[in-house]
Amino acid sequence: MSLVCFEQTGRCAIFGRKRPLNRNIRRYGILCSLSLLSAVSLPASCEEFSPTLSFKGFGTVGISGSDTERLGFRRDISQNQGVTNNAGFDIDSRLGLQLDAELNPYWHLGAQWVARSHAGDFIEQNLDWAFLRWSPSLDTDIRVGRLGIDQFLLSDYRNVGYAYLWIRPPHEFYAGLPVYHFDGADISKKIEVGSTFLTVKGFGGYTAYDAPSVVSGTESLASVVVGFSALLEYENWKARLAYNWTRNVQDPKSLGQLSQALNDPSVAALWPDTQSLIDALRVEDTTIQFSSIGLAYDDGVWLMQFEGSYIDSDYSGYPSLASGYLSGGRRFGKLTLYSLFGIAETLHKHYEVSQPLLAVPQLVALRDGVERSLNQNGVDEKSVSLGLRYEVYENVALKAQWSHFWLGENGTQFWIEPQNGATPDTVNVWSFGLDFIF
Amino acid sequence: MKSLLLALFLSFSAVAQGEIAVIVNPNNDLEQLTVKQVRDIFLGRARAFPNGKFAVPVDQTTSIRTYFYEQVAARPIEQINAYWARLIFAGRSSPPKQLEDDEAVLQAVKNNEDMIGYVDKNRVDDDVRLLLLIP
Repeated sequence: MSLVCFEQTGRCAIFGRKRPLNRNIRRYGILCSLSLLSAVSLPASCEEFSPTLSFKGFGTVGISGSDTERLGFRRDISQNQGVTNNAGFDIDSRLGLQLDAELNPYWHLGAQWVARSHAGDFIEQNLDWAFLRWSPSLDTDIRVGRLGIDQFLLSDYRNVGYAYLWIRPPHEFYAGLPVYHFDGADISKKIEVGSTFLTVKGFGGYTAYDAPSVVSGTESLASVVVGFSALLEYENWKARLAYNWTRNVQDPKSLGQLSQALNDPSVAALWPDTQSLIDALRVEDTTIQFSSIGLAYDDGVWLMQFEGSYIDSDYSGYPSLASGYLSGGRRFGKLTLYSLFGIAETLHKHYEVSQPLLAVPQLVALRDGVERSLNQNGVDEKSVSLGLRYEVYENVALKAQWSHFWLGENGTQFWIEPQNGATPDTVNVWSFGLDFIF
Repeated sequence: MKSLLLALFLSFSAVAQGEIAVIVNPNNDLEQLTVKQVRDIFLGRARAFPNGKFAVPVDQTTSIRTYFYEQVAARPIEQINAYWARLIFAGRSSPPKQLEDDEAVLQAVKNNEDMIGYVDKNRVDDDVRLLLLIP
């Protein structure tokens, strides 16, 4: 939906259409002239391009619930609330607003803000991207500003329910990824070989975000990230490869408090192992590497999608994780039936937390905090889902999904865990959603 | 495979009993386009014509749009909208501008030598160049 369209007599129109192309080019404004830096086919005339400002949006109204009160089901680990056997609207419902300014064929401004439930700041953290895009040639885009992390098949549209089949991104794969955006730059180049399109992208920047913590309520985290991705599109097939390297640049507050307590000389006297615990708790300067592959097929009737990832972490509190999913579906007119299998397993390295020499209550409580920080971040989850999507209108879809989860003993970090007590081995989650774009 | 066969069939049968005409500005020296080339341009995969010129596709808001994508991309309009939602809301690219009817598309194509549009074949006149007829 276009809200505002500038008149054809806008900025570029003053140059007149009848002039020869090369003469016109010299007289374009600075935005157009910059594009001459690369020798490519230029649009015939900038003056014929009317700048446009458009406003678009998307949203989901979702309701879901489960058959347990012992674990809260959440969409991903950026959320600090989940649904139990008390149904809730919180986890999937969202509203996204997007403003695009197409200044001319080369320059584009875009911003997207998505109201949703998560632990971070509602205004700042919900600004998913705000960038300036420059297309110096037909096959190259350079973007600067706040950008979506382009790492997985769904990574920069995982808020847009209408754009994918399921009620939410596959839990085992996407629930462990709390970072939606970074501040920096990316460059992408599209290469066409016969019927195949290859898009390669490199990106780098800084990301600061809030995430719920098992120790305190919410933690502020920050990291630098660099990475690349490659996307191959051929007819009905899409294949994807991505890698990124992340270095944490900030210790979360609660871990700082734990380390401070362990540093106390009176504690160290009664607990000889404190220095190695302090080192294990350190987040700053630890690195995390994400590698992923994906394959998708869609011929208009049958759909298939697979993704697998490996997260290699040298931070004890965020152990390395392997995850993946496979989904298949078939369309029957406006109705699509689908199934989804997912698995996520922490490659668990249990950190042995030593016992203080003297079991005084303060030390026992401190040891408990250290134990939770280092060893309660495991993931051991498999699920099978069945669902349907019905196209109500050409921009509205109705979805229903049932998922059965098996939760192993290595941990349920993707869920909201109770303070104490046993958690169930299996959970059923049901969901209904209405997705729309406008 | 189905769309590939359709593309092959259409590119060989060329200009026959078409209902929708794919048109460009007369200053564009292209002789013809295949269904695949039209599809790549309208889905934003190719930003240029085969002759290297910058391509600006213009869409329609009317029911002809639904028929055009069924024929060219072998997909119902809901799937085309979902395809664009993946690109628009990821900040990757923008869909073709939608004009309200054949007349608006004809005017836009006549006035801009980068543009490519589609209209009812009976509306085509000498001020635009016809590149493909879609039955």
